[in-house]
Amino acid sequence: MAKDLCKTLADLKEDEVLAIVEEKLKAGADPMGILADAGRAMEIVGNRFSKSEYFIPDLVYSGEILKKINELVKPKLTEEGGAKTGGKVIIGTVTGDIHDIGKDIVVFMLDVNGFDVVDLGVDVPIQKFVDTIKETSAPVVGLSGFLTLAYDSMKQTIEAIKAAGLRDNTKIMIGGGQITDEIMNYTGADAFGKDAMVGVSLAKKWAGIK
Amino acid sequence: MPVINDIRLNLKKNDVLRRQGFKGYTRIRPEIKTLVLELLESTESTRLLEPTTAYEFYPITGMEPDRVLLQGGAVVNGSLLPSTFPDAKELAAIVCTIGPGLEKQVTEYSRGGETLRAMLLDGIGSAAVDILVQETCRFFSGEASKRGLQASSPVNPGMPGLPITEQRNLLELAHAGDIGVSLTSSGVMVPRKSTSMIIATGPEMKTWTQAEICARCNLRETCPYTVLRS
Repeated sequence: MAKDLCKTLADLKEDEVLAIVEEKLKAGADPMGILADAGRAMEIVGNRFSKSEYFIPDLVYSGEILKKINELVKPKLTEEGGAKTGGKVIIGTVTGDIHDIGKDIVVFMLDVNGFDVVDLGVDVPIQKFVDTIKETSAPVVGLSGFLTLAYDSMKQTIEAIKAAGLRDNTKIMIGGGQITDEIMNYTGADAFGKDAMVGVSLAKKWAGIK
Repeated sequence: MPVINDIRLNLKKNDVLRRQGFKGYTRIRPEIKTLVLELLESTESTRLLEPTTAYEFYPITGMEPDRVLLQGGAVVNGSLLPSTFPDAKELAAIVCTIGPGLEKQVTEYSRGGETLRAMLLDGIGSAAVDILVQETCRFFSGEASKRGLQASSPVNPGMPGLPITEQRNLLELAHAGDIGVSLTSSGVMVPRKSTSMIIATGPEMKTWTQAEICARCNLRETCPYTVLRS
């Protein structure tokens, strides 16, 4: 009998997880059921991370395993089933800052959690965020910045989004470095993520995903 | 201009893991430990780390409450140096970098979807800069000792009393361009895995440990990189 996919993925046993998925697919299991199990496992991973039982590399490792599961399952999915279900998220490192690794981790975790991520890169001009919101109607925007100089860029970007009449329909999270409530209030963002998992949780909450 | 490029970085696994935010080394997954070791080896075999330090010593000609005057007319603004090292005889303006190779590889891993590798390698780069700073401080301690002086612990732009706006001045004083380090228009150092600092030398200079810095930092409870909970 196949081992429990949810528990095995939550325990980050990559080889076993992939073997279970292959076995299930061969046996004709519903691919959406496999993804649902994987989703539950990722919730457990998130809980373990919040309790400091897992660390950021574990989180990223779980995402990489999930990505491999998606690759195995994808050919078996219908077009509808294979679509991104989390909605669109625009993300970028604000103008003046060129740090990318934290942003890339958030992009990756959002992607494996079913979001359609528009990654604008680093040192993103303020107008680029405004234009991309207009083009995509993305309801969620993530502004990343590692240095203290990024706080002013975040504030100016949010002000420009507001001036363009887009703020009411756009939830904005900030992250990177040592962001606090005070900095969040200064920039005018709706929330901040102290790590990638919080970023995913915020995007899920705003997208109405449990 | 003086450049040190024969610095041996003896990177230890624990230094690297601290830079990944791990707080309990025993709970790290074997897969991740293995990957860290593999990446560490790759940095040696592929020359991803090119540790280099550029510096210049400046005799101090005057000390005012909010600035230090240096021989040749240069000035370092801020109250930190005069208040912390009032007896300093000279300042060393220093810039250290591990070069651009590692961060290019990190970007390649990220673009290729290898996020875990990218993240761990980035952490190795940060740990390498930490060790480079330690080795550089050791060098300056030795240099000061040869002249019967002591070297202080390093201070960095952005610390209270040493404005971040002094960064551009410091890079010029250290001749950072000689080792390929520059600032973007917004003041970010390129390569990113670089750091700048000032070390004061004199008859009796203050020194402190990383643990003491962490203990006094207002982010000590939440900082994932603190040495206090290692």
